[in-house]
Amino acid sequence: MRIKTISRSVDEFTRERSQDLQRVFHNFDPSLRPMEKAVEYQRALTAAKLEKIFARPFVGAMDGHRDGISCMAKNPNYLKGIFSASMDGDIRLWDIATSRRTVCQFPGHLGAVRGLTVSTDGNVLVSCGTDCNVRLWSVPRPSLEDSDLSSEKSTEVVHSICGLYLQECVILSFTSRAVDHQFEGDLFATAGAQLDIWNHNRSQPVQSFTSGSHSVISVRFNPGEPDILATSSGDNHISIYDIRMSSAARKILMRTKTNSIAWNPMEPMNFTAANEDGNCYSFDGRKNEEAKCVHKDHVSAVMDIDFSPTGREFVTGSYDRSVRIFPYNGGHSREIYHTKRMQRVFCVKYSSDATYVISGSDDTNLRLWKAKASEQLGVILPREQKKHEYNEAVKNRYKHLPEIKRIVRHRHLPKPIYKAKAESRAMNDAKRRKDDRRKAHSAPGTVVTESHRTRRIIKEVE
Amino acid sequence: MGGLKRKPSSSAKALAKSKKKKGPHLPNSILKVIANQKRPLNSDEEDDDDVIGSDDEHGGDLYEYEEGVPEEESRKNNRYDRHDNYDYELPDDFEDENVESEDDDDGGNSDNDEAEGDDDDDDDRHTRMLQSLTGMPSAAFEGESKSKPVLFTEAYPEGEFNPTRDVLEGKNVLTEEDFLAPLEGTPGYQKTSKQIARMRKDTKHVVHAPLPKPQRERLERKAVIGLVDEEFSKWVHLVKKNREAPTVYFNQDVDLGYSTVGAIASEFQPRTEFEKKMASVLNDSEVSMEDHIKDHNHIAKMRSLLFRHEFKSKRIKKIKSKTYHRLKNKDLKNSSLGALMDPEMAKEEAMRQEAKRVEERMTLKHRNTGKWAKRMISRGLNVKYDGPKAAIAEQLQMNANLSRKMNSMRDGSSSDESDDEEELNDGADEDTPSRLIAKAKEKTLKALEDDEVPNAGLMSLPFMKNEEANEEAKRALEEYEEWENSGGENSKKTVNVSGRRVFGATAKVEAPKESRKDSDNFYDDSDSDNDMAGIEDNNIEPVRDNASPARNTITETEKFDDDVAGNPASKTTFDVAMFASGSWKKMAGSKNTESKKASRKTRAPIPQAQDKKGWRDEESEDSESEAEQMVDGVLTSTSKETFEVPSQAELINRAFAGDDVLDEFEKDKEEVLNQEVPKPEKPVLVPGWGDWTNIQKKRGISKQMVQKHEAEKKEWEQGLKTRKDARLKHVIISEKVDKKAEKLHTTTLPFPFTSKEVFEHSMRMPIGPEFNPSTIVGELNRPEVVKKTGVIIKPVKFEEVNPNDEVDDEHPRNHQKQRPKKKTSRRQGKVKSK
Repeated sequence: MRIKTISRSVDEFTRERSQDLQRVFHNFDPSLRPMEKAVEYQRALTAAKLEKIFARPFVGAMDGHRDGISCMAKNPNYLKGIFSASMDGDIRLWDIATSRRTVCQFPGHLGAVRGLTVSTDGNVLVSCGTDCNVRLWSVPRPSLEDSDLSSEKSTEVVHSICGLYLQECVILSFTSRAVDHQFEGDLFATAGAQLDIWNHNRSQPVQSFTSGSHSVISVRFNPGEPDILATSSGDNHISIYDIRMSSAARKILMRTKTNSIAWNPMEPMNFTAANEDGNCYSFDGRKNEEAKCVHKDHVSAVMDIDFSPTGREFVTGSYDRSVRIFPYNGGHSREIYHTKRMQRVFCVKYSSDATYVISGSDDTNLRLWKAKASEQLGVILPREQKKHEYNEAVKNRYKHLPEIKRIVRHRHLPKPIYKAKAESRAMNDAKRRKDDRRKAHSAPGTVVTESHRTRRIIKEVE
Repeated sequence: MGGLKRKPSSSAKALAKSKKKKGPHLPNSILKVIANQKRPLNSDEEDDDDVIGSDDEHGGDLYEYEEGVPEEESRKNNRYDRHDNYDYELPDDFEDENVESEDDDDGGNSDNDEAEGDDDDDDDRHTRMLQSLTGMPSAAFEGESKSKPVLFTEAYPEGEFNPTRDVLEGKNVLTEEDFLAPLEGTPGYQKTSKQIARMRKDTKHVVHAPLPKPQRERLERKAVIGLVDEEFSKWVHLVKKNREAPTVYFNQDVDLGYSTVGAIASEFQPRTEFEKKMASVLNDSEVSMEDHIKDHNHIAKMRSLLFRHEFKSKRIKKIKSKTYHRLKNKDLKNSSLGALMDPEMAKEEAMRQEAKRVEERMTLKHRNTGKWAKRMISRGLNVKYDGPKAAIAEQLQMNANLSRKMNSMRDGSSSDESDDEEELNDGADEDTPSRLIAKAKEKTLKALEDDEVPNAGLMSLPFMKNEEANEEAKRALEEYEEWENSGGENSKKTVNVSGRRVFGATAKVEAPKESRKDSDNFYDDSDSDNDMAGIEDNNIEPVRDNASPARNTITETEKFDDDVAGNPASKTTFDVAMFASGSWKKMAGSKNTESKKASRKTRAPIPQAQDKKGWRDEESEDSESEAEQMVDGVLTSTSKETFEVPSQAELINRAFAGDDVLDEFEKDKEEVLNQEVPKPEKPVLVPGWGDWTNIQKKRGISKQMVQKHEAEKKEWEQGLKTRKDARLKHVIISEKVDKKAEKLHTTTLPFPFTSKEVFEHSMRMPIGPEFNPSTIVGELNRPEVVKKTGVIIKPVKFEEVNPNDEVDDEHPRNHQKQRPKKKTSRRQGKVKSK
């Protein structure tokens, strides 16, 4: 007969340091823990509730502008700085990490600034606006800025040095609505009555595209494919250009205007358009006759959109005074952010480390949010991290169960949005009912219900 | 041109067709001839370019010609006469035509048309104008107008966009010949005309008119689309890979420089003389890591042993008790250790043991043969009381010990003494090698013991010696035993023959075959020998006797198989055992373990025989050479007893004699039924009102209660009947829903899953740290996106991805996600079947 004995050497079980954890032996025999499913379900439930408890997404507001914020730009090379411009022509650089205040201003524009962008190396800021000017600014070095901040923390001296930064100014014959900089290149595009491609060193556009009589309202370069850009224009068109070619590659005609476009930084063929009808439409750049996904939830026009650098989700700002975060392949938002005082949101940005979201709104404030509402900030110990991961995994695993689903999905909505949603739902239901009846009472095949993905797209222009 | 531009672009094809159909009906050459004939008449002020343009195949003008002359108009014109012409009014459709063309034309043109309209009506003036313009006699125009009484209503001045009717009808078109005609006879004429002819033939170099803008843009866009799509398509594999990856990492490319001292050290390059020297020295003395570790471990072990020994000896030294030390010394002497250390002592000890053994055998003192023991047993006191019971057990134990010792001793140094008295029938052939081996063994043992024993240092420590000696002794013993076994094989041929014989006899009954795919050399040798020996050697009796010593040595419990092995007569028992080969083998195994404590010598023949049976049984169905069968047949012809093979059912019955599965199942089912459809309780008289007055007893149970009970009973019966397993005798189907478990199930299949099985499979394993080893918990719980706060994530960079490569990071959750799935049913039918 064999006798099994427990033999454990002292060496293995001796801690090296007093802070080390005691080593514990586990028996993973499943028959010893028969209730694992129930246990994990309970944990998932607890995790879902804890997530609700710790959901405090609002980090802080940055005020200083004297008019509604029209556009923002993030420095691709420096996490702490963000540029914002307002309707009165004021451009500011903010330090969002430590002090959350203006680092410097870039005065010069006479009318509203409508477009703002930073070159990839973070040295040049480009702005354009209704005063028919395109201005290039050199951005102060982050290191300098840091030292400045440490020395002049309490004073507002920073403002006085800002005049130095104007590098170049080009005067156009028309107001431009948007500007965007190429990734890893020195070209940038301005959009107005026509689409112009500029080089930093030239005062004339390297290339111009004209299309129709309507002006272009937004332009965005593809981060993965630096020569490709997408624009949206006032005549409800979305166009894709290759700047090496002389004309547009694709044109989609939609029923409503597209306010902004964002390319997926991890999937260069895909982009998402923020539409006036309150939905966002994700397109594959190769097949435009239908949207790949329709992201619904906003109750008013979506004003701006920005992709997370991970490419897995994007943030939108809407005229309904809310900011929402959508998964890149999900029909509904994962998160909604709103505060009592936040007005129409005109611009949103996802921070370059995919951790924060910044929104600029009509109430002259920039707001900093966490991208994940219940995320714990600061240094997290490995064990803590593991615990968070486990909670997340377990929640994800049981997310389809009714109780957990309910808790995870529940959000408190401002009254106007709630009402508007209810109203639109009622309207949609009525419409669907009517359609169903019409379909039922007509010859089969005569009434065709169009899918949501193609409903708002008129055609792809050949 | 303008007209064409206004046409909806969708009808581009139709337009092309119409061009073909409705273009000038006459071929160009004929037209030319006509034009040449009419040349003197045709003298309008049209641009040459335009005319040529109309000849061209692109002929936007031809199209316009078609638009410009509606049929009604010509018919209408036929109705009009010259007189009517004077008070001419604009026809209704005229305005429309005007509006259409107005859009395309320049502003200047439309200005002109009013002025033109005024003086148009006067035919004479027109003729005069023509005359003045062309310089031709008015008769020409006259004749034309007379022969064709057509009213020309030109709303616009003739020009690029408004050619004359002649041109529109394809009649008086200017050609190259028209221009060349006046030059005829001049010196360069021939050359020019040749050139023109050549040009006409050569259609390649004709510069076509540019396409209209929308068409051109469409074509351009198409070309660009192709390029852009190509650009996008190259990302597909990369994107797919990223999407399918269970985890995407964005925290990888953080370059923090050197992270550890080791990393810095590994980068070190010797520069100065000294450093180089050091480096060379370090590199030359190549101590491999393994050796180093081995050395280190060895030293550490030695040190710890020394330390412990020191500790122990200190502690022992501290003990003041004299008795303890005395006893300890005695122990040391008595122990095998002491014996091993001192050969003299060992001998003495062995002698003493031997004497004891002899005494035991002689007296059988400890086998309950004593007076006291007999009395105890006869009176049954050993059962009643614990004391005597223990004492008797002890005696028996002692007896067993002594006899066992005796066996082991025979193996060892004292074999020559015991052999003579015990193994009476052992052949001489066996004696010599075994003795030799025994001698060698002894010698080695001695040599080992005599080996230099260091007086100081670690090796001198008792436990060290113990270790070494034990090890050596073991190894030597093993060797000798091996020798003995293999040697003994040859010497014990007869024994094996007997075994074989026995099996051969049984083989006739159910034909056991042998094939030795798996048997080792040990058996191979012996058997091949046996085959030969079996034929030669017909003497059976000594064979039997040969086996008997082995039988004598084994304990009573082993009697059964010994009989089988040794006695060919007892075939029946053996055959049963063969049938239940599994159990047989088990028995054999247990015996083996038991007899391990006994001496090797006794063990040797038994397992041999057993094993043989074992593998014969196993491979009884295998084929065997005919010769062997023959041998067996010859040898076994003496035995006439046959064995009846019990039927399978009988065997099963015998095997499961004690189990009453059916009854158990019925009980189970009843229990389940009672739980799910509980039987209603019978109403009982509850003591209460009227109890003491005896009224209640008289009345009995109230009617209501009885009725209620009846109803409940009916319901119960109904419930039993409607059960799914009501008619299935051997099945329990439970339809009860566990409410507490319900919340763990979902009614619909969650999104990415398409089959229930896969979904359930994905949910089967828990992912928590309590249920999984820590090595995989991290993987199980890893989020889809791993990023680090403060690390800038760059957009994707293009890299070639092989689409056939699998995702390198195998992740348990990945499988769950990729696979299709289905839902868990809310109702879980529990089906038990017998």
